[in-house]
Amino acid sequence: MNRNPVTSSNIASIGYDEASATLEIEFLNGSIYQYFDVPQREYEGLMSASSHGSYLAHNIKGRYRYSKV
Amino acid sequence: MKNNSTYLGSVQDVSGTTIRIAMVNDSLSGLTYVEGEGYKIGQIGSFVKIPIGYSFLFGIITQVGASAVPENQSDSQPYGNRWMTVQLIGEGSKSGEFQRGVSQYPTINDEVHLVAEIDLKRIYGQPDKPYFVNVGHIAGAESIPALIDVNRLVTRHSAVVGTTGSGKSTTVASLLNALSDQKKYPSSRILVFDLHGEYAQALKDKATIFKVNADKSKDSTEKELYIPFWALNFEELCDISFGSFGNDRDKNVVLERILQEKIKSITNYPKKGIDIDDLNIDSPIPFSLNHLWYNLYTQTLGKFYPDRNGTTLDNLAYETDAEGNEIKGDATKGIPPIFKKINTSKANGERVQYLPNSDVPLNNSQQLQSLGSKLRVPRFDFIFKPGEWTPNEDGSTKKDLDTLMKDWIGSDKPITILDLSGVPISILNTIIGVLLRIVYEGLFWARNLSQGGKERPLLLVMEEAHNYLNFDGSALSIVQKIVKEGRKYGIGTMIVSQRPSEINSTILSQCGTFFALRLANSSDRSHITSAVTDNLEGLTSMLPILKTGEAIILGESVKLPMRTIIKAPPKDKRPDSQDPIVFDEVDTENSLLPGGWGNIMEKDPNYEELIEAWRAQNPRIKRIIK
Repeated sequence: MNRNPVTSSNIASIGYDEASATLEIEFLNGSIYQYFDVPQREYEGLMSASSHGSYLAHNIKGRYRYSKV
Repeated sequence: MKNNSTYLGSVQDVSGTTIRIAMVNDSLSGLTYVEGEGYKIGQIGSFVKIPIGYSFLFGIITQVGASAVPENQSDSQPYGNRWMTVQLIGEGSKSGEFQRGVSQYPTINDEVHLVAEIDLKRIYGQPDKPYFVNVGHIAGAESIPALIDVNRLVTRHSAVVGTTGSGKSTTVASLLNALSDQKKYPSSRILVFDLHGEYAQALKDKATIFKVNADKSKDSTEKELYIPFWALNFEELCDISFGSFGNDRDKNVVLERILQEKIKSITNYPKKGIDIDDLNIDSPIPFSLNHLWYNLYTQTLGKFYPDRNGTTLDNLAYETDAEGNEIKGDATKGIPPIFKKINTSKANGERVQYLPNSDVPLNNSQQLQSLGSKLRVPRFDFIFKPGEWTPNEDGSTKKDLDTLMKDWIGSDKPITILDLSGVPISILNTIIGVLLRIVYEGLFWARNLSQGGKERPLLLVMEEAHNYLNFDGSALSIVQKIVKEGRKYGIGTMIVSQRPSEINSTILSQCGTFFALRLANSSDRSHITSAVTDNLEGLTSMLPILKTGEAIILGESVKLPMRTIIKAPPKDKRPDSQDPIVFDEVDTENSLLPGGWGNIMEKDPNYEELIEAWRAQNPRIKRIIK
C-alpha cells in the first residue's frame, strides 16, 4: 500500500486502500499498523485534520481494530 | 610522600595473584586528578598498575575497605590503613604493549598507581587494526572504544548472558551489525538460529531470512525453510518420523528398507563422492519416504483373498467406494489404503484374511500410523515435502543438497537467519540438532576447500540456548562436539541465554569470551563465575548492578576484562524483543502506540481473527493488505 508522508508529532505516513477499507499508519519509530474496516470519511478526516495525531487518538484509536504489520 | 598524583599506596601482601595494598591516607576526599581529569580512588572493577623495573604489572580492584585487611593485621590496625585487594591480570612494557599473564610478582612496598585514561588507551588501544571490532565504549571513559578480537571471538566461542530486558538481543544485534560490515569483512559468514523471529527486522538488509511458513507476499524477502528428511541420519529420521520402535526387529526392518531405497536411488541417479560400496544408512541420499511408508503399511496391515491364484500381494482385498473403485490410497499424499473386513466363511461371499505372519514386515503398526499422520499434516511439510528437494518414487529430486547449503551459508549476504518460530515444539530440539549437524558435517569435510570452514569460518549464533542445550537431545550432543572440535575446522558458536545455569556446563566452560549483562539470579551468576577463565570473582559480583545495555566482557577476545556500554543499533534496526508497553509515558495524542492499557479498546473486539492467527500458526492474518 502506498502511504503519503505527513508532518506530525507521532505519525510518519498514512495510506488508505479503498477496496478493503484499510487504513495504514506508519509511526515515527518505523512501526506500521493497519486499521481494518475504516470508512473513507475517516481517512479524509485524518488527512485534513490540523493535528493528525489528535484525530487518530480521538476518532480511530479504540474504534477500529488493527494489526501490526 | 605523595608527589605523584597517580600514587595509590604500596603492596603489603602477596599470595598468588591476589595482592593486598595499603592505601595512602592523605587523599581524604577519595578523589585524585591526573592531567586535569578526576578519578575516584578505589573503585571496584577499576585498574591499578605496579611498576617493576622496565615493565608494569596490571591488576583489577576486587575489594576495598576493612575486610580487605590481611587477617593477621586486622587486630593491630582496625582503622589505621585503608586496604584494597587486587587481582593481577597481566603485564605491559613501558612502550605500552599489554599481555595477559604475569611473569613476575610484586614485592612488599612496591608502589601501586592508578591507571589513568591515557594508560587505558594504551591497553585497550589499536582501533585501527581491522581484526578488532568495535562494540561500544568503556564505561566511564567514552573516548576509549571497546574492541573485540574477531579471531578469538569466532574460533574460541562466546556466550552472551543476561536477564530478560538487560539488553541481550540488542547486544547480539549490535555485534552482528559490526561483524557483517561488508567493507571490513566482505566474506563474513554468520548463521543465526532465531527461535522467536526477533532478528529479521533488525538485520533485514544484511540477512537472508529462512522461515517455516514464510510470508510469500510480494515485498517480503523471507524464503521458505526446508529441511529434507533424507539429509537426516537414521536416528534423527526415526525420532521425527516413526517415533521410537517397540522392538529391535521392527527398527531393523525399517533400517533395511531405507538402505534398499537409498541403494536404488544411487543406482538410478549416481552422485559424486559416493558409490554403492560405501553407502551407509546415514548417507544423505534422496529416497521416497512416502512410498516406503505406503509399502510398509500395505504389507503390515493388508488383507487378501486367499482363494485366488497368485501371490498374496497380487490379491489384496481393497475396500471399494460408492462407485465401486478400490480405495488404494495415495502414497504421495500420505493417504493409506483401506482394506476389506475379515471374512472367514465362504457363505458370506469371498473369504478375506490377514496377510500370513511370515510376510508381515512390522510387528507393530503404531509407528506407521504416526508417520502417516505426519505425512498428511501441512505443519511437517518443511521436512517431509521439502519443495524442490522432495524425492520421487525412484529417488530423483529437482535439486540436491548443494543448493540448500549454498542458500544457507553461501548466499551473497553475510548473515542467514533461520527463523524457527514455526517449527512444532515437539521436534524443535531434533530440528536444531539436524541443522547444526548438516552445517557442521558439510564444513568439516570441506575443510580444504575455499568454501569450507577452515578457509571461510562460520559463526553460529544460538538464541535462547537454554531451551535446547539443557538436557539430552540431539542439539546438545552436536553443540558439545562443535564447541570442542569446531575451533579446528572454523566453526564458532555464540551462545545466547538468559538462564546460563540451565545450559550444559561443558558447553559453557568451552566459551572463551563472555558478554555478561545484568544477571541477578545467584545460581546463574555462580555458573558464569565458575566458567570464566579469569580469576575475577570481584568483577562477576558486579553483574546484578549493571545498567541495561551495559556488559562486562571477559575472556580471550579482549585484552582486559572490560565494563562496556554496548553501542545500540539505530532504532529501526533493533530486534523485535522489546517489552510491550502497558501504559505509555506520553499521552495518546502523541503516542507511537495504538494499544496498551491506557487507550480505550474497540467496542466489539474481533476474536475470530485471533483464532484465525492461532489456527494458521501465523501472526499475520489474511485481512492484512499487501
